[in-house]
Amino acid sequence: MYKALALAVLLIAPAHAQTAQEIVAAADAVRNPEKPFRIVATVIAYKSGTAVDRNVFAVWSKLDPATRQFRDVMLYTDPPRDAGKILLLNGSNLWFYDPASRQSVRMSPQERLSGQASAGDVLTENIATDYTAAADGTETIPDANRRQRVCWHLELKAAKTSATYNRIEYWVEQKTFYPIKARFFADSGAPLKTLYYRNFVRIDDRMAPAQAVIVDAVDPSLVTTVDLGMPQFEDVPDLWFERDYLPHLKAQ
Amino acid sequence: MRRAFVAGAASVLCLAGAAADDDLDRIPAMTPQAAAPALQTPQAVYLQGDLALGASRKNLAVQLAPPPSWEARLFLDTRLSWDIGSIVLAYSGRLNLRAEDGLPFPSRETIRNDLREAYAGWQDAGGLSVELGRINLKSGVALGFNPTDFFRTRAVVEPVSADPTVLREDRLGAAMLLAQQVWAGGSVTLALAPKLAGDTPPYANDALPSFDPMFDRTNARGRALLKASVDVFDLSPEVSIYEENGRTQFGLNVTDGIGAATVVYLEWAGGARASLAEAAFADGVRTGVLPPAPVLPVSAARGFRNDVAAGVSYTVPPGITVTLEYDRHDAGFSGDDWRNWFGIGAANPSAAGPLWFIRGYASDRQEPVARDSLFVRFDWPDAIVRDLHLTGFVDSDLRDGSGLAQFAADYYVSPEWTVGGLVDLDIGGRHTDFGSLPQTATMLFKVSRYF
Repeated sequence: MYKALALAVLLIAPAHAQTAQEIVAAADAVRNPEKPFRIVATVIAYKSGTAVDRNVFAVWSKLDPATRQFRDVMLYTDPPRDAGKILLLNGSNLWFYDPASRQSVRMSPQERLSGQASAGDVLTENIATDYTAAADGTETIPDANRRQRVCWHLELKAAKTSATYNRIEYWVEQKTFYPIKARFFADSGAPLKTLYYRNFVRIDDRMAPAQAVIVDAVDPSLVTTVDLGMPQFEDVPDLWFERDYLPHLKAQ
Repeated sequence: MRRAFVAGAASVLCLAGAAADDDLDRIPAMTPQAAAPALQTPQAVYLQGDLALGASRKNLAVQLAPPPSWEARLFLDTRLSWDIGSIVLAYSGRLNLRAEDGLPFPSRETIRNDLREAYAGWQDAGGLSVELGRINLKSGVALGFNPTDFFRTRAVVEPVSADPTVLREDRLGAAMLLAQQVWAGGSVTLALAPKLAGDTPPYANDALPSFDPMFDRTNARGRALLKASVDVFDLSPEVSIYEENGRTQFGLNVTDGIGAATVVYLEWAGGARASLAEAAFADGVRTGVLPPAPVLPVSAARGFRNDVAAGVSYTVPPGITVTLEYDRHDAGFSGDDWRNWFGIGAANPSAAGPLWFIRGYASDRQEPVARDSLFVRFDWPDAIVRDLHLTGFVDSDLRDGSGLAQFAADYYVSPEWTVGGLVDLDIGGRHTDFGSLPQTATMLFKVSRYF
């Protein structure tokens, strides 16, 4: 309730009253529900416009009130060779469980999994928790559907060593606090990918993006869409975020 | 000059605009959102055919029959589970059809089934679970050598690859009662595995039973494991106590993430135990394979011996993860053991059988012969082209510099089909750990179909 009031104050306050960090936090609130939820996310990879890969994940997310960061359990359900694998993110701890070996292995945020490079794009994260934001003026940019949006242009720097990216450029619409676009950079300074949010739909009492589109900067012919699905608000017990619980996780 | 600068700036702006437009041009049109697929408990079934070709070493320091020059195999790998309320039923196994150089076809060896797991379980919403049956219980955070993976011994049958991460995927569970309580912040696990069969010596590759659960491999002795883990300082420490026939081992696992690209880990197990040579000799005598007189000088002393694996994994762009791990195995061969092994083998060819029994015993128990090893592994998903996965490792005996090197490639042709191959090389002089092995190189080609 307190958070909802704070967000309402942010949304109705004049634009100049917000700090860059508050803008990022407000955009986080647009992307991520406060209540524990489950989504079924479909990730489709396109190569030169042709769909070449499809992954489906069930993701349970819950905000940790102590850190203001989300904890996520992600169950792979498709393709068949990956079905049953689980990724767990709890604070800075990232674990990968493989039912074939019945074992959980610790991973670093930058480590990638076989054929599942898109997994990290599905995890729920509060950007404001891990990055320090600075305002870089106002820009009018086209969104993924080529609709012009008046945005704050923000420059984000990693505030924690565990942050996946060193630098992010971020565009947040001024009128709505919708996250519109983000560009992620490698430690070397080279751009890695550009992410667009689109198809904002009403979920519960708020508007949220239903799809993320990721354009690879290293191989520009690669585009990935992430359909986030409609979240099912349900209790997610804290013990689900324990690595030893992963073998007992059920899809239903 | 000023005009040139403005023109240059304008062209940069145009290029930037063009880049943004290029991005938008590549984005597929928004399609009506499909209904989310219904969630089901994932099942895993795949069919794999593989062909392995091997090259054997000439002029071995200690004589041994050459390994098969080829092996062809087709297997159906199944991992299924059913949830009935709070009850879970699970089955995991591999049905093999195989042929190899020197093996009559068809014969008893042609069709084999490995029953990896079959158990019934119950769990409540509070994190308590109880399982009964054949269960694969694994422990350990290291990649190359897992000292605390106490149930690994004798559990691997006909591995597809020597990669330790693959060995963990295909092994027999032990018949046990497994109880676990997980709570937010930690867990406690108790496993009780009774003795169900008599002890047997390691199986020869051409003498594996067809349809036999082989409890002699997994339940020849009563075993118990108690382990607990807590979330402290992000280190995820896990302590364990393992009991087997009155012999107690203690274990510890610790791992931590440093920054966004690094993971460090430490795994340790220790307790009073015999050396490898002594344990192998005692096992050979007990199972009637070796004569009562030891082929190598062995001491009956059971000192406190440590097993340690300490490693660091680091991910570099574009997503290559490199792991460097040091392994210490106190019970492994000392310098004197190696000198005796080669010396006795050269002087007395009739001792070759007992000498190779010791090496086979270590392999059967997934125990290094070396005391000090360096394990280096790389893992590169989407390497060079999308859906190509490259892995490789070198496991090197630090005493003599010999090692096993493997390079493997898998290509995910489609969500259902995968093709792959690997090359194993045993590198070293003829009087070294890996250079004394009868095979020099192995190549394997495989095709998998997932259902």
